[in-house]
Amino acid sequence: MTTVDGRHELDREAERLAYKPPEIRHDKQGDMESEERINKAMHHFVKNFNTQTASYLDGCLHCGMCADACHFHVRTDDPRYTPIWKIELFKRTYKRQVGPFAFFYRLLGLKRHVTIEDLEEWQHLLYDSCTVCGRCSLVCPMGIDVAGLISMARHGMFKAGLIPEELHDVAKRAAETGSPLGITPDKFEDRVEWMADEHDVEIPMDVEQADVLAVMSSIEIQKYPQSIAATAKILNAAGESWTFRTDGFEATNFGMLSGNPDWQKEATMKLIDAAIKIGAKMIVLPECGHAYMALRWMGANMYGKPLPFKVYHISEYMADALNTGKIKVKKVEKSVTYHDPCQVSRRGGATQAARDVIKHLGVDFREMEYGGDYNWCCGGGGGVVTIKRADPLRHRVFKLKMDQVEKTEADELLSSCANCRQSFDDSQQHFNWDYTMGSLMEMVAENLEEDNS
Amino acid sequence: MDLLDFARGPALQWAAYILVAGTIWRIVGITLLKEKPDYSEPRKSAGYPAALKVIWTRAFTAEPFAKATLYPKMMAYVMHIGLFAVIFLFTPHIVFFEGWTGLDWPGLPNSVIFFLGVATVVSAVALLVRRLTNPVLKLISNFDDYFSWFVSTLPVVTGLLIPVRVGLRYEDLLAVHILSVALLLIWLPFGKLGHTFLVFVTRGTTGMVFERRGAKT
Amino acid sequence: MKNKPTVGEILQAKGVSRRGFLKYCATTASLLALPPAMIPRIAKAIESARRPSVIWLSFQECTGCTESLTRSAAPTVEGLIFDAISLDYHHTLQAASGEQAEAARHAAMEENEGGYLVLVDGSIPMGNPGFSTIAGISNHDMLMETVAGAAAVVSIGTCAAFGGIPGANPNPTGAVAVQDLVKDKPIINVPGCPPIPMVMTAVLTQFLTFGQLPEVDKFGRPLAFFGQTIHDRCYRRPFYEQGKFANTFDDEGAKAGWCLYKLGCKGPTTYNACATAKWNQGTSFPIESGHPCLGCSEPGFWDKGGFYEPLSTGKFGSGAKVAGAAAAGVALGVAAAAAGRSRQAKFTKEG
Repeated sequence: MTTVDGRHELDREAERLAYKPPEIRHDKQGDMESEERINKAMHHFVKNFNTQTASYLDGCLHCGMCADACHFHVRTDDPRYTPIWKIELFKRTYKRQVGPFAFFYRLLGLKRHVTIEDLEEWQHLLYDSCTVCGRCSLVCPMGIDVAGLISMARHGMFKAGLIPEELHDVAKRAAETGSPLGITPDKFEDRVEWMADEHDVEIPMDVEQADVLAVMSSIEIQKYPQSIAATAKILNAAGESWTFRTDGFEATNFGMLSGNPDWQKEATMKLIDAAIKIGAKMIVLPECGHAYMALRWMGANMYGKPLPFKVYHISEYMADALNTGKIKVKKVEKSVTYHDPCQVSRRGGATQAARDVIKHLGVDFREMEYGGDYNWCCGGGGGVVTIKRADPLRHRVFKLKMDQVEKTEADELLSSCANCRQSFDDSQQHFNWDYTMGSLMEMVAENLEEDNS
Repeated sequence: MDLLDFARGPALQWAAYILVAGTIWRIVGITLLKEKPDYSEPRKSAGYPAALKVIWTRAFTAEPFAKATLYPKMMAYVMHIGLFAVIFLFTPHIVFFEGWTGLDWPGLPNSVIFFLGVATVVSAVALLVRRLTNPVLKLISNFDDYFSWFVSTLPVVTGLLIPVRVGLRYEDLLAVHILSVALLLIWLPFGKLGHTFLVFVTRGTTGMVFERRGAKT
Repeated sequence: MKNKPTVGEILQAKGVSRRGFLKYCATTASLLALPPAMIPRIAKAIESARRPSVIWLSFQECTGCTESLTRSAAPTVEGLIFDAISLDYHHTLQAASGEQAEAARHAAMEENEGGYLVLVDGSIPMGNPGFSTIAGISNHDMLMETVAGAAAVVSIGTCAAFGGIPGANPNPTGAVAVQDLVKDKPIINVPGCPPIPMVMTAVLTQFLTFGQLPEVDKFGRPLAFFGQTIHDRCYRRPFYEQGKFANTFDDEGAKAGWCLYKLGCKGPTTYNACATAKWNQGTSFPIESGHPCLGCSEPGFWDKGGFYEPLSTGKFGSGAKVAGAAAAGVALGVAAAAAGRSRQAKFTKEG
């Protein structure tokens, strides 16, 4: 665990944040003129205006309830973090360009054309202060999927070259090397070998044909490599015919997070192509939130037709395997609470899976107040943890998580998303917090009943 | 033609034409845009039953959000229910609808209607005050928000003035009331009052998309 | 010219007791909302009034107004007063006819120049002077000639006051009201189809007592009788407030005497004294008898939607027009979506 710095005695009762608003930087990529940036933004906003999006943008009542659901607004009281306000430029463009009354909006100047100042100001709102967690979408009385609109609005910002620099760097690296952290196929292979050795487990690599294609996230490969071994142990115990592939191993999708649909498609297609190549019946996604959203729900649309295989998050796979008796686990004598990753539970629909796994682990399970589908976001999703300048804001909202977890008084805190884990680890260090996030998958792997392998 | 004849006649007629044309224009303009097909494998089947489910459930705020949104939610409920009652349960209005649709139904006593009308106006004013003072609402509100408030509250106020009379003649107050209704009908399809018909589309869409994923709606 | 008898002398001669006469004055005072102290003044005014000269002109009318006044079961003081004061010329009632009658009219006009009252019932057809004539003289000409030396004009009944039934759509005779033609004399409108007898005599009584014409509303109707709506004085109003309405003429509600709003009652927009003064010496009035108010004292009452159409019935225009609006909506929506899509395509191509 961490040690407390003696020079700055930590007062655990104090309000945990001296909040310094994030530095205002208007990052730019490329050297386009402002005029061109505005046009690019507008064009790529417009590309997204299908009938579903249109009804959402036309239906907003300006009731402001979304603000009450958003952790960024709740923890700062800054009205600009009202979720639908983050969408304002996107909405304005819709009404001017494609809405049913667009002609009159333009003719009578009822809404202003987006300016470069607008776009620059909105960079912070669309990236630093939104994790696409989807709580706003749940509270909206009109049923508007505000979070979904944020992802679409990012398309315009990316093409205009107006996204946070750190996020752009990471996304570019992912597009160029295949991994946001620059983990090449060789490096991946190395770490897999290392884990196989270290944990004494069989890890198939580049097998020609297999039922299951397992993939990892760069965060796990780099920071939590034991996940590789844990995945292998579980799939082996279940007796699966499975493999990792160096031509399709990266589950993260920074194209999606940064707002570049081309890069998003490239990353997704790598996985799809690899799975098809080996004749896989399923892809098992790692402990990663947005990877689930990218492949399970958006993958087929990138592909342009239904996927020829099933897609499971590892927590779903484990739940199924435990429920059908394919794997068995020992009872764990601990009290445990669970942090639901937004993209897997609330947005992805796999909330129950983790709970099935937890039930089989036999722990004293303590559901957080407003856990499950209404869980507070870790604050690091949607690319926010990558954006260093947003750290003060992210730390500010983390108090919600700390309170939520502490209230359960559980021994252990588990989750099933490496990005959440990263966000929690960073904040734990910042606050000298007692809890360390553990991995649901690792707990299962550590407690597998041997007679099944 | 005096003011009342104008209000009951051409004003209401044209308001009806504009209401019908505007509503259909907006709905058609939205639904004929590109469809986004979804090829992902559904977790659950989610057709119109899912849409209907969310159309119903989104009228109620989920528990985790309820406390934070309680006050405006209550005021909005009073306003909507009051509006519904004074429009559809006041006998002279019921007679109006009967002339149009042939359907008849029992109404509430006038004193109850008057009380509900007052409650509607009070809650509407409370909501306006909130919109003018709350930082979030101040930032995101625009002309549409304020004008829509005005055209929906005016008919209730002018309707309440009729029994109160305030020294004016019944038929003049009635004419002003009917004109204010005509104004409401004319504005309805174009601003945020369009939520009258759009609410079914937005809630229904979300219901179908998220129910399909087995995700929380 | 021998001295004309006073009204008091005439009444006495007809056998009206002092008591009966004072009772009449008291009733009139209360109708006019005057304090009891005014009763002696009214009595004195009527008693001592020299029989004022009144010329009654009947044009396009059904004679209902005259009937209302004169056809009562027992002679009323109203009737008697009219006997007493009117009829220097009343072409329906008078004995004389033809040229002698016209001579009588001219004589009355000359003798009382500037001081006589002209009472008119019936509308005046302007479409063709031949539509309604008396003694070969068109209504218009007779009217203009007769009012020239009058002190004031009283339009009796809705026809004279506003054009009434002849003036209803499509108004084939071009019927107009007295006030449409006479611009330079004070006009009192006493509408109703017919007007309440008590109202007619009270107006005259006021004129006799105070030498002035009563205060009127924007339609020239005496405020004393036309200042309140039927609705505001109707004994069935509590049922309206409680939401108890008759749906048909013979259902339980109708039998229980509930409000007739849903059967087309125009009470809320009709100004008259029917609900208080009633008819046939206070016997009843249409609503009390179970029939909705027609609004007969209002201008154009015949053209304000059907008598059995409730006041709040909308007039949305024909179904065809609404369908047209729907079609317009579809066209505009399609155009908007097409424009939106084409902009999308254009921007997608531009990248």
